Amino acid sequence: MIEDLESLVKGRVDEYLILVSDSRELMIKLANGEVSTTQSWRDYEVSIYLAKSGRIAAASYTTHDPRDAIRKTVSMIERLEESPLYAELPEPSGREKSRVDPRLKEAALQGDATWVLEELELDAHPTAAGMISIAYTTRRLVGSNGADLSQEATSFNGYMRIFKGKSSGQWAWTSTVYDKVKATRAIGQAASLAEECSRLPHEDVEPGTHRVLLGPMIAANLLQLAASAANAGSIILGFSFLQNRGLGSRVGSEVVTILEKPLDDSMPLFTGFDDEGVETRDKVIFDKGVFKTVLHNTKTAKIMGDVTTGNAGWVLPRTFNLEVAPGGLREDEMLEVLGDGIYATNNWYTRFQNYLEGTFSTVTRDALFIVRRGRPVACSSRARLASSMPSLLSSIEDLSRSQYDIQWWEVEEPVRTPYVLVSSMKVSRGASVGAR
Amino acid sequence: MIDESLLYRAIDEAARLGASYAEARYHSLREFNFSLLNGRVIGGAYSDSTGVSVRVYAGGGQGFASTSTISWESLLDAVKRAISAARTSAASRRSPARLAPARLGRARYSVVEKKPLDSVGEDAKIATVREALGSVEMKRGDMEVESHTVAYRESIEEKVIVNTDGAFVASRVPRVEVFYNLTGKHGALRANRWRELGGSGGLEVLDGMRLTNTIQDDVDSLHVNLVKARNMEGSQRLDVVLSPEIVGLSVHESAGHPSEADRVLGREAAQAGLSYRTEMSEGERIGSEQVTIIDDPTIPGSMGFYLYDDEGVAARPRVLIDKGILRELLHNRETAASFGVESNAASRALDYRSEPIVRMANTYMAPGDYSLDELLEDIKDGVYIKKYMEWNIDDKRWIARYVGLEAYRIRGGRIEEPLKNVVLEINTRDYYSKIDAVGKDLSFEAGSCGKGEPMQPLPVWMGGPHVRLRSVEVKGI
Repeated sequence: MIEDLESLVKGRVDEYLILVSDSRELMIKLANGEVSTTQSWRDYEVSIYLAKSGRIAAASYTTHDPRDAIRKTVSMIERLEESPLYAELPEPSGREKSRVDPRLKEAALQGDATWVLEELELDAHPTAAGMISIAYTTRRLVGSNGADLSQEATSFNGYMRIFKGKSSGQWAWTSTVYDKVKATRAIGQAASLAEECSRLPHEDVEPGTHRVLLGPMIAANLLQLAASAANAGSIILGFSFLQNRGLGSRVGSEVVTILEKPLDDSMPLFTGFDDEGVETRDKVIFDKGVFKTVLHNTKTAKIMGDVTTGNAGWVLPRTFNLEVAPGGLREDEMLEVLGDGIYATNNWYTRFQNYLEGTFSTVTRDALFIVRRGRPVACSSRARLASSMPSLLSSIEDLSRSQYDIQWWEVEEPVRTPYVLVSSMKVSRGASVGAR
Repeated sequence: MIDESLLYRAIDEAARLGASYAEARYHSLREFNFSLLNGRVIGGAYSDSTGVSVRVYAGGGQGFASTSTISWESLLDAVKRAISAARTSAASRRSPARLAPARLGRARYSVVEKKPLDSVGEDAKIATVREALGSVEMKRGDMEVESHTVAYRESIEEKVIVNTDGAFVASRVPRVEVFYNLTGKHGALRANRWRELGGSGGLEVLDGMRLTNTIQDDVDSLHVNLVKARNMEGSQRLDVVLSPEIVGLSVHESAGHPSEADRVLGREAAQAGLSYRTEMSEGERIGSEQVTIIDDPTIPGSMGFYLYDDEGVAARPRVLIDKGILRELLHNRETAASFGVESNAASRALDYRSEPIVRMANTYMAPGDYSLDELLEDIKDGVYIKKYMEWNIDDKRWIARYVGLEAYRIRGGRIEEPLKNVVLEINTRDYYSKIDAVGKDLSFEAGSCGKGEPMQPLPVWMGGPHVRLRSVEVKGI
């Protein structure tokens, strides 16, 4: 099939890349402790990149027959203009790297994951809402630069939100293999947060500045956004607080190290080649608070006078797996070190007021603990945290030794992260004011 | 389009395999797009997402499967996978999933392109957008737009929906959208303005955007924010006038989303969240007499236009809040069954690989009879927030925050000096209760509404007139 597609573009454009992704995915969604729906996908996706005389066309097709759209794109490219993003395709240096869990592959191919529901013992949680996803994907990239690279992979990820009265807890997991321990631990964390919150009296968080312990769910969301600012595409298009901060500048405290790890095959976005066929490598984005790497493909590297870092997505760079380096805190001492402050376990709706300054606010959801003298004394319903990325990164005081692999609705790419202790964050107002 | 007999064969087969209900949806989204960076073409392409979904209720559970390969063999495979998925779902159910009876359509309709999308070539479309951009003054005094990106997208969405309850609906909806981001710079200060414009129809939608004027107005807003505006000190309780842009967003977030019945039932609890309407009843007051909020899929030219939903139910306007009183929720047939009502046709899916779920279409606050001058005239000391740059809301849709990109002090009924980054943070009841006057100048903004797992960003309109709120807390950052 891919050879048929090549024949549509070969000789008609100067350069091309074709990526074919064939996937089988099964997703079980739960609400109120019941399965609300089970979804089964068989997707055949073709992505093409074409270049002719410096003009660029790029598109994706999820259709039984993309040939007509590809022909139209080939013909249309003549009517475009030389792109400021154009750069010659690089030599394909990528390596093939696959990891398949046979049990997940079989479940995805058969479209049956009833055994997962049984093994995770979700019957024990009659209020659970969430999702479990199992996927098996093969990818093949071919290009006029000589690239012909394939990958085969499985993934197992999900999240659960568990309620107890008006309290709730939520936790997520992600993996490339079936990991019952990881999944059941995540579900258990969600349940214990709901339980702990329900036992404490309710109290609104006072508006003002607080010391804050960010749980892994919220740390993953905020630090993924911080790392995405190092994407050259974000910098060029005006969506990055790092736009005017050079490499080598300090953007965070000494304890902040964030790595991008495409070679880590324990998390689903591992790969040995990027979308231009270039070899991927693990790298440090922020090293002990210092901005170390802009994530590039060859196009953005040319514009910014740099070299590709093996982060090509389709046209613009992308991030693969992220890891926030652990710190020195033991989990059993985190609240003691927090002292007086709040412990936020989850968030959503992070929005930037100003991408270039990095100012944002985000709304907590699920258990939000008020901590005094190192002990949780009350549970609040919701609050809004406001800060800026430079301020947040500079205020990180320490992190936990333990890390968690998080991926969910608000964390699109997998992030391995510890708990994060922040010396000061603004709580703009208790969101339960006038609450229902 | 598809050979429709394949879809009928699929639902017949599903019924034969034990489905109490089956629906098959052919769903095609064909797009042409291009992007400009600082006026230069980055690239463009045609894309295509076309396939068939099969959704069944069997054994008391719901199952969904899709395929991008359109042949009897792959549809049969999808039917079997959907049945298997439904049985997986059924295993944990305490009570069987049910569908409410509904009056289903047998119809074909299409949105007319007054100026057909294919009436001009790609180069002419690029030239139109670039010329509009070229006429914008990107420098205003000491402020300049240091970079700008513009993306154009036209799409044709075609669907054929059949189900075992007798629906047959074939539709064709073309849309045109423009997205842009402006990055303004004044000394060391920077700010963004992001905007989405769009509607259903042909190239007349692009003409109606009046791109030069619209973008110029946003450049001017950046100038006001970066150069002229001064911070508001502390927090104050003042009268506030909000523009249609902010009213539209707010009714989408704090009236539309919480009215989604699946959210009220907890089905989206782990994703898009909960709703305050779980704890409130229809008929309960949430706002002043002036507040009426409607969601209407049938508005001609709108982004969220449809005449039948993705279950084949005939669409109609839904009154969510009527003169301050909570009214109907947005339903599909499953949530309608849970509430013992009829579906009001809110079932929508992004594409063939998406399950239809309860969604908004075009949500707006009904206009009143005040002009902007009349809203302002008796305000002694207040704030006018014209455009926003940041917003969010908690997952019960109770406390929202809007931060002004362009805002002004009102004194003695007149718009006076600009204010920087004014924050309005308010709970939903206060927001709707403090509105004492509503303008007559209804207008709509285009948007992509996010919900679902996997995420289904759907085209919607959000609208309203200017409104006046009495005595609410506003503050500077």
